[in-house]
Amino acid sequence: MIILERSLEIASNMLIASFREKLMPKLVTRREFLNLLGSAGGTSATLKAGSALGLLPAASIANSLDLLALGPNKKKVAILGGGLSGLTVAYELGKLGYECTILEASHRCGGRIFTVRNGDLIDEIGNRQYCDFDDDPHMYFNGGAARIPSFHNNLLSYCKELGIELEVFVGENNNAYFQDDALLGGKRVRVNDYKTNIRGFMGEMLAKSMSEQEMDEPLTEREAENLLSIIRSFGDLGESDLYTGSSRNGYKSGGYISHGVQKDMIAFRDLLQSELGRRALTAYEGDQGPCLLQAKGGMDNITNGFLRKVEDRVKYRAMVSSINVSNDGVEVTYDQDGARHLLQADYCFSCIPTHLITGLDHNFPSDYVKAMKYVRRGDAYKAAFQAKERFWERENIYGGITKMAGRSADIWYPSHGIHQNKGVILAAYNFRGGSYHTNMSQQERIESHIKDGEKIHPNYRDLVEKPVTIAWHRINHMLGCAARWNRNFGGWTQEEEFMFDTLQTPLNGRHYVIGDQISVNVAWMESAIRSAHWALEDLDKRVRSELA
Amino acid sequence: MKYLTLLVYKMNKRKLSVAILIFFSGLTPLLFGAEEIEPYNDRYCTTCHGTDGRGNFGVQAPRLAGMEAWYLKRQLENFREGIRGYHPEDIEGLAMQPMAEKLTNESILDILEWVESWEYFPAEVTIEGDAAAGELIYSQCATCHGAEAEGNEALGAPALSGQNDWYLITQLKNFKQGLRGGESTDPFGQQMMVMTQILADENAMDNVVSYINTLGR
Ligand SMILES: Cc1cc2nc3c(=O)[nH]c(=O)nc-3n(C[C@H](O)[C@H](O)[C@H](O)COP(=O)(O)OP(=O)(O)OC[C@H]3O[C@@H](n4cnc5c(N)ncnc54)[C@H](O)[C@@H]3O)c2cc1C
Repeated sequence: MIILERSLEIASNMLIASFREKLMPKLVTRREFLNLLGSAGGTSATLKAGSALGLLPAASIANSLDLLALGPNKKKVAILGGGLSGLTVAYELGKLGYECTILEASHRCGGRIFTVRNGDLIDEIGNRQYCDFDDDPHMYFNGGAARIPSFHNNLLSYCKELGIELEVFVGENNNAYFQDDALLGGKRVRVNDYKTNIRGFMGEMLAKSMSEQEMDEPLTEREAENLLSIIRSFGDLGESDLYTGSSRNGYKSGGYISHGVQKDMIAFRDLLQSELGRRALTAYEGDQGPCLLQAKGGMDNITNGFLRKVEDRVKYRAMVSSINVSNDGVEVTYDQDGARHLLQADYCFSCIPTHLITGLDHNFPSDYVKAMKYVRRGDAYKAAFQAKERFWERENIYGGITKMAGRSADIWYPSHGIHQNKGVILAAYNFRGGSYHTNMSQQERIESHIKDGEKIHPNYRDLVEKPVTIAWHRINHMLGCAARWNRNFGGWTQEEEFMFDTLQTPLNGRHYVIGDQISVNVAWMESAIRSAHWALEDLDKRVRSELA
Repeated sequence: MKYLTLLVYKMNKRKLSVAILIFFSGLTPLLFGAEEIEPYNDRYCTTCHGTDGRGNFGVQAPRLAGMEAWYLKRQLENFREGIRGYHPEDIEGLAMQPMAEKLTNESILDILEWVESWEYFPAEVTIEGDAAAGELIYSQCATCHGAEAEGNEALGAPALSGQNDWYLITQLKNFKQGLRGGESTDPFGQQMMVMTQILADENAMDNVVSYINTLGR
């Protein structure tokens, strides 16, 4: 597997290098392209480079917290916001004998972990919706967090510890579709057809370039042979290293009792008409790569797992209105049932989004506020339909994702409820460009998703009903997903690093900002938990030295 | 059909055309906005506008505490009618508009009462401009908004002193670029669209707002 990825990487490096240097400004024939590739001379360099896969943040075993139990000592903790990081803190500190109170502004905990089922309120400001899906266990939609990478160890170990059942989530699915108006006249194309063909052509070019070019890297004969065989199998090349189609993407007909008839190739040039191509080979890597998991029955079962341990500590519809941090504690006020209440605590952990904290009454120093004001809020957007029948299963699609060039971007087929009568499908997921639909009326949003979906599934309009839309930029008490720290390509500036440190460091050793917003890998539950653990370990040091 | 009538009743022109389109494209089985279950009212203001309506830079929502009831009422109604928050580049206006669209006359009164109950705290100064240069410009604004920027109900001009300065800048830009005040049914907005043309550039805006900051509240 590694070898394949590695050779993929080398292949793409070679292609990119030759593209950059030679190709961009003028049109070239395929023959010329091969020559260019051969003369790029970058092979030896790229063979040496690409050493690290460099895609994933370092996977490590789950953080085993080693925190001091309080024993006879007493400490009060105010937890602002019942997001996953807040619940993590409450759960861990509860084990140690801290007295925690969670103040949650909304009618539910979980924040951006949000599963929508029959009767649920979607509390979008200006567009309150109630979900009308059929009342069946598999008829739900994860409007926020939806997938768990198999190396998000801290989250996974909590799932185990708290008895949260998991099942496989299918992300990559070769039988799902690509659709782009620029590609083959807008015809939907199976991911498999796209992938097989593009790999074939890429493999052909690579093989040619290997045989035609004198390699200046001292590969042994055996290494060179292996590399060539990897390339051949990558592209499923035929005789003389030519790509002439493949059976990898299935047959046009036959294949069981009678011999299979190979599908027609898609012309190389046609494949190059869509920007979706970029995602054909690499859409599902890193955090989005297999194997992915989901909580059985809905992601909010993660929230529920924590709540089973800390529910009695939660005050709902309790909206924090002020935070005052002193040297020996924190005073918090909150509004609940039309009155303002005071909560005094020794320590405070807040997962309230920074762009909402700035609207509270507080006594924070200016650099702290400056950092909060700097962080921008994302505009992720999702929508879902109830499907009257599981029409995608008739097209051999079980779970997975269709990618569209249209603004609705994704259709997700549920990994659960297979072969039931109905299902809930995700009709749109725009993580970075969600404002496009957010700024529409509910009716316009729905119409846009139907129009995009009709290009994939004929009769889509008649097959779906009961829409819900989730514009995180307007969801009450969130108004965003997710924190955007760095504003420039090319990584974080020094100033951004400094502001991040400022917010991560507890104010007076008393007030911790937590959540995925205090991580460099935002919009993952694992990051929210890691941030909580970072804060807990910092607290532990302080408490240990105080009690020593 | 009853459903459509209801929609029509609640919608402004732009949305009405969409509704009709949807109706005739056979989308009627798609129901949305099922009946209310959670015990909610329309007192959503503080999520965006901050504790006691102090305004929130983080989401660019202005200060409501201290705002005159007659002015707040007019703006809520303008948003409701879609004559404010209509322009695709008026990001915050676009967010406010659908919220206001849902408001009944009773909930507007309820909100005004709620806002009146909030204590006013001075706004933080965040704009650095040349207040002396701004004073010269402001003399033209003073005709309507008053020498102390205290507002003038008879002329329909709100108080400016005490508002968040970053919000004043945004609105000056919005008026000048026609993101606000472009609708013929918004005479006050139209007036501001004309008046903001005297502000040559962003510097001039910073200057005049810096002067307003010196007037305190
Ligand atoms: C569309 C989308 C897709 C995502 N996909 C994934 C995924 O596939 N996998 C994954 O692992 N993660 C995913 N995430 C990210 C994941 O949901 C978050 O990283 C995580 O849930 C954040 O937890 P948090 O602790 O930061 O708190 P949040 O969830 O941000 O919760 C903050 C809480 O504070 C409360 N609050 C706000 N204001 C106040 C106040 N004044 N007083 C009291 N309480 C207040 C809110 O109501 C909320 O409950 C996704 C998120 C979104 C939105």
